[in-house]
Amino acid sequence: MKRRLLFVLTLGLMLTLVAAPTLAQDKKVVTVSYTQEPLTLNPLYITQWFAANVVDMLLTPPWFIDDNLQPVAVQVTEIPSTENGGISADGTVMTMKLRDDIKWSDGEPITSADYVFTYDMLMLDKNTVSSRFPWDTKVKSVTAPDATTVVVTFNEPFAPWLTTLFTASPAMPKHALQPIVDKDGTLDTADWNRTLDPGSGAFKLGQWESGSFLSLVPADNFWGGKPKLDEVFFRVVADDGTSQNAALETGDADIGPFLTAADADALEKQGLVTTVTPSGYNEGWFLNVNPETAHPAMLDVNVRKALAMAFNRQKIVDDLLLGKLPVPGSYWEATPYARPDAKPYDYDPEAAKKLLDDAGWVDSNGDGTRDKDGKELELRFIASQRQIRKDVQAVVQQSFAELGIKVETSNYDNFFDTFGEGGPAATGAFDIAEWSQNPDFPDPNSNVFLCSEIPSADNPEGSNWTGYCNEKVDSLLQEQLKTTDTAKRTELFHEIDQQLFDDVVWVGVWYDADIWATTKRVENARYSGADPFWNAINWDVTS
Amino acid sequence: MGRYIIRRLLQAIPLVLLVSLTIFVLLQATGDPLATMGGRSPTRPEDKARLRRQLGLDKPILEQYLYWLIGNDWAKFDLDGDGIAESPGIRYGVLRGDFGTSIVTKQPAMKIIMDRLPNTLLLMVTSEIITLVIALVIGVVSAVRQYSFLDNALSGFSFVAFSMPIFLVGFGLLYIFAVKFREWGLPSLPTGGIFDPKEGRTLNQLVLHMILPVATITIISVAGYSRYIRSNMLEVINSDYIRTARAKGLSERSILYRHAFKNAALPLATLIGLDLPFLLGGAVVTERIFAWPGTGRLFLDHLELLDYSVLMGLLMLITVAVIVFQLLTDLMYTWLDPRIRYS
Repeated sequence: MKRRLLFVLTLGLMLTLVAAPTLAQDKKVVTVSYTQEPLTLNPLYITQWFAANVVDMLLTPPWFIDDNLQPVAVQVTEIPSTENGGISADGTVMTMKLRDDIKWSDGEPITSADYVFTYDMLMLDKNTVSSRFPWDTKVKSVTAPDATTVVVTFNEPFAPWLTTLFTASPAMPKHALQPIVDKDGTLDTADWNRTLDPGSGAFKLGQWESGSFLSLVPADNFWGGKPKLDEVFFRVVADDGTSQNAALETGDADIGPFLTAADADALEKQGLVTTVTPSGYNEGWFLNVNPETAHPAMLDVNVRKALAMAFNRQKIVDDLLLGKLPVPGSYWEATPYARPDAKPYDYDPEAAKKLLDDAGWVDSNGDGTRDKDGKELELRFIASQRQIRKDVQAVVQQSFAELGIKVETSNYDNFFDTFGEGGPAATGAFDIAEWSQNPDFPDPNSNVFLCSEIPSADNPEGSNWTGYCNEKVDSLLQEQLKTTDTAKRTELFHEIDQQLFDDVVWVGVWYDADIWATTKRVENARYSGADPFWNAINWDVTS
Repeated sequence: MGRYIIRRLLQAIPLVLLVSLTIFVLLQATGDPLATMGGRSPTRPEDKARLRRQLGLDKPILEQYLYWLIGNDWAKFDLDGDGIAESPGIRYGVLRGDFGTSIVTKQPAMKIIMDRLPNTLLLMVTSEIITLVIALVIGVVSAVRQYSFLDNALSGFSFVAFSMPIFLVGFGLLYIFAVKFREWGLPSLPTGGIFDPKEGRTLNQLVLHMILPVATITIISVAGYSRYIRSNMLEVINSDYIRTARAKGLSERSILYRHAFKNAALPLATLIGLDLPFLLGGAVVTERIFAWPGTGRLFLDHLELLDYSVLMGLLMLITVAVIVFQLLTDLMYTWLDPRIRYS
């Protein structure tokens, strides 16, 4: 009897706990569903896009890049330029003037010494930082002539300074971290890497439970004002569409980043607002034009043009991406650096056939495949193991066969390995290779079309895997690196873009932008492609 | 008995070493942790070369294993790439309690694991207890009422549940009880995590968030256990000594629970003993679906990053647990079956 009574009481208690109405609270909370938990918060060690976004709220850079891809001053009094003397006439010195009212969250002032310390930490051999670019190759020194002046001297003019340097690696608090480095010899294991306290953002870390959530709350001493929200809650969810969509559909999450086109479509139907922001990435074909490794047909620009015109890329975008993302006409799609009115080659199989015929590639032996001088038009189309690329390969194989082009497809785990590591793309084992590439977004600088980057035994790390070498493009790419005038640099990129288009060395397949979903209760969320959470201080929720 | 335990533990040492070497070599062969460092872009070649040197990944695999095992504080390394080994190592090795540092989070591997272990144990032990209780009821009832409608219905349920992939059960429950119930205006369950930030972290929230993952694991596990218990019970209740007990006039309850069940439980103890160590590894799929912050999800996340310090720590934890629980199971036999003696 006693046991039964105990059982009933226990059951009753459990049911009461489960069914008890919880107290509604007035806290303004926005929940962001995150399919990747940050591995660290220290920008020096970050490799994840997801982690970098959280850091935007905890540690401010000198300037944010806003949703129009324009710089917005945060720690500096103004954005350096040649006009205000922030950039020297020869482009080799960049000077930042810091505000005199900026403070770490513990009340200590943020000074130029913190910037020099950050540079020192990037270059310290005992720190296993994720990347030293561009500090190791482009920067000669970082100095602090006074408490509010930071001077960066380059080895040679370095135009991409605006979106690299301290924008990617914001200043760290020297007063808090120097003692740790003095004691341990490294920052690698500092607790600060997982708290960023003291920080310099509008928010500070409230709590972080590994594998579950991060909670950010308004920080103290932020000079830009108080956030409108009481908490931003990052909920770690599974990286499959189902769990993330369920959280967004039910209101368990308010913001969902990095969605697939299919998930975005499903969420739109549930009443969520979707936003597409440029990421700099474009999925595209890199056509091998290296005479030593490419099929002879690939060396003829008209054959390459025929390939671009023979492939119905809009249909791929419509079928596989539900038409959410356009076919890019430029390697710099959706940025000011794309040539004006950039359009992709039209799908025109008849024109493609004519180009091939005119180039001498005809089916002379009646085997269904075009040939020339005894060489069959059989092309190697390679990609990584990503499923959507395999789908594209299958469609291309079928549609090209109708034009008399035989396509052999291959997929590799080590697709991105360098020439030195024997990577299939780097060693030129392809005629068409598909991957998603971005320049130094949001800066347009790119090395992948430079002659000096063609990989070889002497240059095993070279990044120009197409083997493309055009003197005009090469010279323009070198010139833009030294051009500090933004308008002039933009014009240079328009020229480069046009030449790449005419030479058909890169063919855009889809614009690989980031897609966000937001519930209608969230207000003022303006995601930037470069610093997505740059205006989190202004986020709000409707009552 | 004491000598037996010591002998078993000594025998386990070479086994653990062999397992650790095998796992270490296999993990290293899985891929290059520096290929992307978990990011969106391939790692820059200059950074890859520097990190390989700094993290000691440029050393031969057996040398890396040796450092993992006994540490590297007795050797010097070239961190700045000038060809001169100038910096002493900082690792003590697992034999001195240092499981290494995560390549990606830079935290001690064992700390990362221990942060997650309580969550996994909470989920898995709860699921295991509920599974055993339900499986015992189903197994015993099915055996006692063999071929009745109830037995057939429970057997049918068991076969269906046993055949279903766990992700289907997980997503099915998520879709019905979290998404659809909310859509229909019914009281619904949360989609994942361990509490709702708007409500705060309470016992109520924890219980609510545990319901779906526990139910998922239980549905899958209960099927196998109940079939096992049913067949053992059937074997025992048809044996001679049960018939004798009945002939002596003992009550059915006494026969069933005092005589039949204890003997039927002996093989079950083996099964539970084998299963328990794997509870530490968590429920990989379920934890992922319901965003449960346990070791299962940790393993998957760090496997994608090829973060071998954490992976080695987790796998060695399970290896040691398997050996210990097997020993405990063997020892439990002596309590369950007095005929068994170890010397």
